Amino acid sequence: MTTAFQALRDAAGSPPTAQQRPLLRVDISTSSVAAGADAGLARLRDLVAARGIEIDILTVGSLGLSFAQPTLELQLPGKQPVVYGPVPPDEIEAFLDAVFADPVGQGDDSAWAIGVRGLNGAAGDAQDGVPPLSAHPFWGPQERRVMDQMGVIDPESLDAALAAGRYAALDQALDMEPMAICDLIEAAGVGGRGGGGFPAGRKWKFLLGAPGPTKYLVCNADEGDPGAFVNRILMESDPHLVLEGMIIAARATAASHGFIYIRDEYPLSVVRMRKAVAQAAAAGLLGGDILGTGMSFTLEVVRGAGSYVCGEETGLIASVEGLRGMPKLRPPFPAQRGVFDMPSNVNNTETYAHVPSALLHGSDWYREFGTESDAGTKMFSIGGALQRTGIVEVPFGSSMQALLSDIGGGVPANDKGAGKAKGIQPGGPLGGLLNADDLGLALERPPFTERGVLLGSGGLILFDERACAVDLSLYFSEFCEDESCGRCTTCHGGSQRLVEMLARITQGGGREADLDRLGVVDRALQNANCLHGQFTPYAIRSALRHFRDEVEEHVRDHRCAAKACRGLIRHRVSDPADPALAEAAALCPTDAFVGPDGERTIDDAACVQCGLCAELAPAAIVVEDRFPQAPVAASAAAAAGPSPAAAGA
Amino acid sequence: MTDHTNDALSQPGLLTPSQSQRLRDLLADLEPGKGSVLTALHRAQHELGWVPRGAISLIAGQLRLTDALIYGPATFYSEFRLTPPPATLVAWCSGPTCRVLGGERIKLILEKTLDCELGQNGPNDDYGLWLGQCNGTCEQAPQVWVNGRVVGKLSLAGSARLAQRIRDGEGAAKIAPPPPGAVEIQPALIRKESP
Repeated sequence: MTTAFQALRDAAGSPPTAQQRPLLRVDISTSSVAAGADAGLARLRDLVAARGIEIDILTVGSLGLSFAQPTLELQLPGKQPVVYGPVPPDEIEAFLDAVFADPVGQGDDSAWAIGVRGLNGAAGDAQDGVPPLSAHPFWGPQERRVMDQMGVIDPESLDAALAAGRYAALDQALDMEPMAICDLIEAAGVGGRGGGGFPAGRKWKFLLGAPGPTKYLVCNADEGDPGAFVNRILMESDPHLVLEGMIIAARATAASHGFIYIRDEYPLSVVRMRKAVAQAAAAGLLGGDILGTGMSFTLEVVRGAGSYVCGEETGLIASVEGLRGMPKLRPPFPAQRGVFDMPSNVNNTETYAHVPSALLHGSDWYREFGTESDAGTKMFSIGGALQRTGIVEVPFGSSMQALLSDIGGGVPANDKGAGKAKGIQPGGPLGGLLNADDLGLALERPPFTERGVLLGSGGLILFDERACAVDLSLYFSEFCEDESCGRCTTCHGGSQRLVEMLARITQGGGREADLDRLGVVDRALQNANCLHGQFTPYAIRSALRHFRDEVEEHVRDHRCAAKACRGLIRHRVSDPADPALAEAAALCPTDAFVGPDGERTIDDAACVQCGLCAELAPAAIVVEDRFPQAPVAASAAAAAGPSPAAAGA
Repeated sequence: MTDHTNDALSQPGLLTPSQSQRLRDLLADLEPGKGSVLTALHRAQHELGWVPRGAISLIAGQLRLTDALIYGPATFYSEFRLTPPPATLVAWCSGPTCRVLGGERIKLILEKTLDCELGQNGPNDDYGLWLGQCNGTCEQAPQVWVNGRVVGKLSLAGSARLAQRIRDGEGAAKIAPPPPGAVEIQPALIRKESP
């Protein structure tokens, strides 16, 4: 251990515990604030001051329990911490009444209690009638390696990070030769967590071998995939872990300067990462003489401005340079010519976060979890039609069924009764669609690739029978068209044609030839300059493969069984006497209801099929097919077989 | 509705002397050739609420670039606005979780009730409906942000009621008031005082 690091560690002290006073951890992160945590914290401080409660309040990041936001964690002296949630701002007072009832700890907190969190990585024990968190379905199956301190430490304190063990791996790396670090990370099998899975250690060797002295390291925190938010929670909850990974990477590649490129939609991540960089620089963990070893590395946070293609590494590099974020042809690869034409290395935020523990514990430890193709653990963000959304960390190779049905709780009941999963949307807008029959897939790249979809950066969205595969394909194609950088005609023109065809199909203009022509556009898009254009048709290609019948029904019969495509349905009043229609008529956005009370009908020309009336007056409104016809013979659909449009997969 | 599509071309978008001076001070530390265009645009937008034509020229002068090299990124990146933000901004989440839970229909209801399409402002810039990018607070889906504060778990009827309140003059301060010490989780474009 370097003396400089020893001094830092000693000054940081030990992690906070509730020895004399109760310790209350308040989750302040994007998802808790969305549920009102900042209002709750203000209320909490007022109440604590007014009542003179002797308590320490610590703001922390997120445990990942998004479904239970806002969460709090209370540790009473001599006890284990208990996680509570949701505790909305208007329940703070009742919550305090319960947990600080006389005698303290004996009040009824069961309305909010989730579980007892164990200390120092151990599983908790049941305490005062509250079960351990490890018995909770959301928590139990997880292997929290990079998430171990999330929601536990104050993300805005370097001392808290040091006390939790951050930068110990860096201290060790400073004693190692750069090539030895690359070798260790490659042997551990730390792969790119952005979806590529390329071994980070091997990528680093390209940069190490590139001529210096000016070499750049880039952290890709432009987590553009809607529905994926693992990088956000990392940066908000444990920013120093990401920094430590980057500084180790700088040591391994002899990089001189780094950029952390964060998407503009994550303002809290920008604030916390900037603060962490400033703290690290002030403590000598960044700068011209890192921990007294003479190593030099500086870092800056670059704020993006809302562009999906900037998640592609060459687009990101252009954006760091202050240009439009247009991807470039590779080669030259960034290790040859990257930021400002200097050798550069781009890794995902989560990739950097896995580096310190891999270095500290070695490759055997790292490979305890995971599979041959994907070693270690992976963070996933799960959402959609799901009981429990949130962020989890599980080993690569775990079953998707376990993740979505056990951890996530599966599809919740809805207005149509018990929910039933219809499919999964993995890997963001370019990831494609999977049928619920494939729920049992192992969470590693190969089985997903075999089915023509991408595992991607960790976003998994479950959808139920109210969603339509064609509608979702249109949605993702529109997204890709909108986010196409416009440099190559293949991509922007191709995605426009795709959107036009899908829009026409969802409006009842489907033609038999479309089934082949979608494949033609797909093949043309494979000539796009970058992955954005090449992956744009994944949604419709996978829909044709995994939801073939549904696509054919749209094209041939102009019918949407899910009643999701507005162009293929019609709302009709079946019971004009239903009193609920009055409110529906008052709220109807296009005033499509005509006729007096008790005789209301819907003017089809004005109706936009938004479904508001069916939600308010389900007994009085029927949703029917706009183009009714005799059902297609079941044999015709069965004879269609596998998709010819899946060529090029 | 108020259509600002051609504002950048038809209006000079000149800065007042005091705005120019403030912006000049804010940009003083940015050097040419260091990739500071996005930083400069962010600072300008934070100060003024949007990026007027005059700010583009001023940034170009500071960074020794042509106006076109600033105008390019200013239009390429969706978070930069070349039109003034409305007093009450409804940002509709375009993410897939919201989508599978009815987000597209909510957009339609908001558009029809507010009588403005996505990206437009209502009369006098009192309110506007813009696209918001998913930031992963999907447990609140389907949702919108009103001046950066979440209004979530919307039903179709709930979104119609919300839109009617906004259309009828209730501002963001009433619909989603920020608490003391509010934490910013969406890049909220709040209209600053006019010059």
